[in-house]
Amino acid sequence: MMRAVALCVMSLVVAAVAAAPVLAADGTLVAQAAKKAKPRPVAAPQQPMPTSAPERVEADVSTRTIAITSGYSGAEILVFGAIENSRQPSAESGFYDVAVVIEGAPEPLMVRKKGRVAGLWVNTATFNFNAVPSYYAVASTRPLEEFADAALLDDNGLGLEAVRMSAAADSAVRVSSEDLIAFKDAVRRLKQSADLFKRADYGVIFTGRSLFRATIALPATVPVGPLTARVFLFHEGKLLSKYQARVVLEREGIERWLYAFAFERPFLYGIAAVLLALATGLIASAAFRRRGT
Amino acid sequence: MCLPAPLRSGAAPLGPADPPFAHEPSRPMNIYLPIAEMSESVLVLLGMGAAVGFLSGLFGVGGGFLITPLLMFTGVPAPVAVGTSTAQLVASSVSGALAQYNRNNVDIKLGSVLLAGGVVGTLIGVEIVRILRQAGQFELFLALCYVLFLGVIGTLMLIESVQTVWKTRSGVPASSRGRGEHSWVHGLPLKMRFHRSKLYISAIPPLLIGAFVGFLAAIMGVGGGFVMVPALIYLLRVPTNVVVGTSLFQTVFVAAAATILHAGTISSVDLVLAAILMVGGVIGAQLGASAGSQLKGEQLRLLLAGIVLLVCVRLGWDLVVAPAELYSLAQPAGAR
Repeated sequence: MMRAVALCVMSLVVAAVAAAPVLAADGTLVAQAAKKAKPRPVAAPQQPMPTSAPERVEADVSTRTIAITSGYSGAEILVFGAIENSRQPSAESGFYDVAVVIEGAPEPLMVRKKGRVAGLWVNTATFNFNAVPSYYAVASTRPLEEFADAALLDDNGLGLEAVRMSAAADSAVRVSSEDLIAFKDAVRRLKQSADLFKRADYGVIFTGRSLFRATIALPATVPVGPLTARVFLFHEGKLLSKYQARVVLEREGIERWLYAFAFERPFLYGIAAVLLALATGLIASAAFRRRGT
Repeated sequence: MCLPAPLRSGAAPLGPADPPFAHEPSRPMNIYLPIAEMSESVLVLLGMGAAVGFLSGLFGVGGGFLITPLLMFTGVPAPVAVGTSTAQLVASSVSGALAQYNRNNVDIKLGSVLLAGGVVGTLIGVEIVRILRQAGQFELFLALCYVLFLGVIGTLMLIESVQTVWKTRSGVPASSRGRGEHSWVHGLPLKMRFHRSKLYISAIPPLLIGAFVGFLAAIMGVGGGFVMVPALIYLLRVPTNVVVGTSLFQTVFVAAAATILHAGTISSVDLVLAAILMVGGVIGAQLGASAGSQLKGEQLRLLLAGIVLLVCVRLGWDLVVAPAELYSLAQPAGAR
């Protein structure tokens, strides 16, 4: 009983968000949802709807701003969305395929390769990327390769193989194309082992004819900054529609204050660090002496 | 009531169906480190600080050569590990230095001469770091420095302390310092009298030792106690009990300068991380200083030699053995 009510409320909110991208007060949300829901043709759920209107996907994220406080140890982002003019007979029919990508801001990255020099393993090669996403997670209704071809995935930056990595000009001219591939593979491998690149082949599920959701966990090591959530709708290997939303990771409270202090007044911050260290040491000494060591 | 019929009929059961990425359960003892940009257990960090602080108080080494690799092992980015450990060194060495000072174990005059050299050495070291970073060989240089210095010093200390222990065992009184034993060190000009150390020597060797240690502090992110202590003992023949206090005295100032430099140039000092390490460190340092006064000099040196050699072997191992992963990721200099 409780579950049914919860489902109703959640689905309603999702539908409302899909209908009205601008979030309004609760009352208006319900009104809009009701209005939107009424003209929807109530066809038999078993058959695709006899409509030629193109499908459109709309989505949003559960949290627009993730506050990073001292207790932060990662977060979970729920991406939910709806397909307008869905022709899918039921949630389980597998008529559509959806892929959800959450991507961090691109940042410069340096890859080093070790080689053997005089019996020692030392860094012998360095490769610079101008821009590699700090974080990349892709979730889909089934493995991406099963519903889209490589070219389409690549065009849309979908999947770990298609993550945008732009090489720095000075590095690119120095290495062969095989080496470039090896460096890119290394980035993917290392980022995956650090939990910063990941894929979930069955991470998107349909909860209704047009409703879908995906939950994506952000580890605490994801660099602070804006994240982009992209949603792609596929049918029979064709990209029908896509949608984009943003999430911001932000420091809050003392964490925010410290970070600003460290980067805006670096020397003062250094002096403060030394004073804090001296005070800690001296207080500890005094405390121990009073106890009569 | 709340949904049109078609939507509801196709809905999957709510709740258990989500097959998302494995979600890490939130751990209540974790704390977020704002500069390192990661979350780590408070207990682990406190324990690390205490262990390193204990060694600091026991031997008079800053412990930087242990805390920097330990921090990197827990996932702290290398520049933040180096920058933060210098701040932690200030705290652990000031409490250790004060504990030694209260036992009248600090030669202020000798410490000041060492410090004067240290400032010059730090400035040279910072410039060399900049050049090596540009050449992209800083990591290799760092690893080789660690292996070389730790290996040489650890071996020398091991041989010397084993010999001393052997002599004590076999009944020959161990002469801690050969009085009247003159070496090239005693032939240099600019002689100064260091009362507390009962020395009348040239100011040039302590200046050079100080400069060398300051240089190491800048390039290796260490207090340099592991070089300072043996140098004072074996080159200058400073009495062992004064060596620890004087080395700590000098470390306080070198570490303070390095902290301000690291924070000021690349904002790599994490105050939250430093504060936790400090709390653990000062407690450990006090316990270490008390324990040190109950151990004999040669036992202390044998123990320190063992630890130094262990770290050396661990670092050397990575250089010699074929790594499982040939590639590594790094932040380009100046990207933060």
